[in-house]
Amino acid sequence: MSSSVDRIRNIGISAHIDSGKTTLTERILFYTRKIHAIHEVKGKDGVGATMDHMELERERGITITSASTSVEWRGHNINIIDTPGHVDFTIEVERALRVLDGAVLVLCAVAGVQSQSISVDRQMRRYRVPRVAFINKCDRTGANPERVVRALRDKLGHRPVLLQLPIGLEAAFEGVVDLIDMRAVYFRGASGEDIEFGPIPAAMQAVSEERRAELIDTASLFSDELLEAALDGNATPELLREAVRRGTLALELTPVLLGSAYKNKGVQKLLDGVVDFLPSPAEVPIEAVDLENDSAPVQLVSDPTAQTVVYAFKLDEGRYGQLTFIRVYQGTLAKGDTVVQTRTGRKIRIGRVVRLHADSMEDIAAAEAGDIVGLFGIDCHTGDTLVGDGPRLAMTAMHVPDPVISLAVKPADNKSQVNMSKALSRFAKEDPTFRVTQDQESGETIISGMGELHLDVYVERMRREYGAAVETGAPQVAYREAISRRAEFDYLHRKQTGGSGQYAKVAGYIEPCEDRDYELDNQIRGGAIPTEFIPACDKGFRSALAKGSLIGSPIVGVRVVLVDGNSHPVDSSDLAFQVAARAAFRDAYRRAAPRILEPLMRVSVEGAAEFQGAIFRTLLHRRGTVIGSQEDEGFARIEAEVPLGEMFGYATELRSATQGKAEYTMEFARYAPVPREVSEELLAHYKNRAAHEEE
Amino acid sequence: MMTEMMFGLRRSARTLLERDGCPGPGPGRLGLVMARAGVGKTAFLVGIGLDALLAGQNVLHISLQSSVDKARAWYDDLLTELLRRERKLEHRAEIQLAIERRRHIHTYAGRAFTPDKLRQAVELLREAMGFVPQVVIFDQPDLASVERSTVEALRATAAGLGAELWMACRTHRDGPQAAPGHLPPPADRIEDLVDLAFRLEPQESKVRLRVVKDREHMLDRDLNLVLDPETLLLVTGVTPRR
Repeated sequence: MSSSVDRIRNIGISAHIDSGKTTLTERILFYTRKIHAIHEVKGKDGVGATMDHMELERERGITITSASTSVEWRGHNINIIDTPGHVDFTIEVERALRVLDGAVLVLCAVAGVQSQSISVDRQMRRYRVPRVAFINKCDRTGANPERVVRALRDKLGHRPVLLQLPIGLEAAFEGVVDLIDMRAVYFRGASGEDIEFGPIPAAMQAVSEERRAELIDTASLFSDELLEAALDGNATPELLREAVRRGTLALELTPVLLGSAYKNKGVQKLLDGVVDFLPSPAEVPIEAVDLENDSAPVQLVSDPTAQTVVYAFKLDEGRYGQLTFIRVYQGTLAKGDTVVQTRTGRKIRIGRVVRLHADSMEDIAAAEAGDIVGLFGIDCHTGDTLVGDGPRLAMTAMHVPDPVISLAVKPADNKSQVNMSKALSRFAKEDPTFRVTQDQESGETIISGMGELHLDVYVERMRREYGAAVETGAPQVAYREAISRRAEFDYLHRKQTGGSGQYAKVAGYIEPCEDRDYELDNQIRGGAIPTEFIPACDKGFRSALAKGSLIGSPIVGVRVVLVDGNSHPVDSSDLAFQVAARAAFRDAYRRAAPRILEPLMRVSVEGAAEFQGAIFRTLLHRRGTVIGSQEDEGFARIEAEVPLGEMFGYATELRSATQGKAEYTMEFARYAPVPREVSEELLAHYKNRAAHEEE
Repeated sequence: MMTEMMFGLRRSARTLLERDGCPGPGPGRLGLVMARAGVGKTAFLVGIGLDALLAGQNVLHISLQSSVDKARAWYDDLLTELLRRERKLEHRAEIQLAIERRRHIHTYAGRAFTPDKLRQAVELLREAMGFVPQVVIFDQPDLASVERSTVEALRATAAGLGAELWMACRTHRDGPQAAPGHLPPPADRIEDLVDLAFRLEPQESKVRLRVVKDREHMLDRDLNLVLDPETLLLVTGVTPRR
């Protein structure tokens, strides 16, 4: 196995659900000799694909948690993270993207660029991940790679360059014409393992030359050498490859390759594409921050001899304890090393370092800069940075969205109670978007996450992996409260109960704040409130934000401006100012026209164009606002924003309204005020509940 | 109150182009904005659309070049800018919701657009959502690639709806110039279909607006309107007429 950093590729495989990415990964493992037989995702042999390593994934035919594996191809070490396709699990995709240097975007030759591909692509753009597109399922009826290439341009805004042409399509799909080397490539043998090169079929010669000329035109934008060589009629495959690589690394080009993973065609050429066009860790600039130097940015280098900097991006509880997936960004991490956990300053000794292969692993002595490996025997959280001797560096944090939906869970018996606690504490540690809280009034355990499916999967995992039988309540939407106008406050807290009393006065105003949940603007001049009591005021205001007076939901989007106050040399204390701030806020809140906010979900529905009207109606029934629609040769995509509270059971309604010819994805968009009738309903419900609890 | 506030936010040139009691070219008529590449034709069209939305009208925005997300982002950015200038950002969520209920963005990927498909889409929006636009924005700056028959069909669709239609036209500095008394190419092909035509002229750090056709009259009149080069909105200080 090569250890040089420029021979490492850290890649993700991302796509819409059912585009065949797990099947593709299975073929990659087979051709790189990591497995000796191919198992299908929903195979008759009952084994399931190797990367879908959890029982539930095998049963549902979907990938839930990312399994990491390492393979070798043409002397390069390729670390692959298989990522989930459902948007409810985007934290998995985000984690993968954080540590990856490049990605393969798998697209279905029939369905083209689907809604999930769009949201995954948006994430990749955010992390500036160069990608190679693989148009899969070219053997399927209705396969049309040219249409997918157009969709890459029109829907995703890529500049796609087709590096291959299909030889035959649908059932007649035989192989591809390689437009760089200008030859035909066939995949023979029982599992497509024997690659056969041949001349381009005569009927495709002219079109191949024409498409190669187009490819050279586009690629030469990134290479003067290629431009000059092309003018001399001497564009070599090497120059062409290098130019496409430069364009890809600059995120200006997306090389497009073709195949059918299920029919064992095109996968080896895709691996060539990964090696040829995606970056090595040394080619991707990575920044950390120096916590001892006012968080000054520090450029990391892929040098095995530099200070060790390691990032933990995923935790998994297995048979041998906690497995921590890490990426080494700088230096070397060896078994027996001691590193410092930046967050806590705690020293950690490295026990086992393992190279991962789906659900099996091999022990290795050390991992160098650029590598993705697993560690056993360390206690840390997702997002932790571990460093060797030197400055206290931290990788910047991942974007973690707040949960939008919650569910009460109750163990069915005593045994389940213990198991449920174990399961929940593990899930919360592994997944930052999954939260566990205790309802202070009802004492119920509440789990919160990013969608119905997200929570369903965890409930199911509690049952299967921990034997915890749990009952669940109805899903609850995470409402918020916010003010809509400015209101003044001027509050004096005074109490004399024998001994030292309590005295604190705060004055100012609260007003809506667009871009933050809370902000304290201290405009006190001349010490009306002594500086040492400002943190107590802050604490008091924050505690008032935890529960609004409308429906008991957290208050967001408030700026508190503190302009005046008063204190007493003896009777003022932290406690007095906390109480005053809390009471002042509550008083002003009532006069600031508070309102209830609900989470709006961005819903993207895609289906046959003939059902557009039916889709519009399903969205409008659910208080949706249709933002727009896109038509594309018989297909339509409708973008809407719908309150989360109205989305329960949508899959069933959509199926029946479109004869099963449409599907949807949704993700959190923003919070927005609820309409008056919904607000009244929620207020009445809260009032009833409060009265009931009082009784 | 919200309606009043939204009306007061209007800063598009459309607010000053009132004719016969209605802004813009009028129902069933075509307004055309011409400019060289990069001057801000799309921003100008989005400004027209936003102006209509703030005035309480329904807007259908058709794009052959942008995705729904991109077109929406134009409106969001412009609205944010208007609210920022007026120090009313705290009302963004409500106003955004209000205008999104009155706006539909319809885009066509690749070569999927035909006038007939658009007519069907308009019919579908009316049937399924009860949405009838009063302003139709057709965002395709490359007018040279649009057939005359397409413009005729678009105008007929707009007329059927009683909606005003707005289009853009990219002109070229080095291309053929306008014949005297005519619109410059490629707009000259559809000159008789255009009711109101403007030219955007960049001048140092601002953009000036000239009217070049008003109904059957060809003119070249400087409207003395200065537009912000970033947003193509009127510079502050101009109040819309009710």
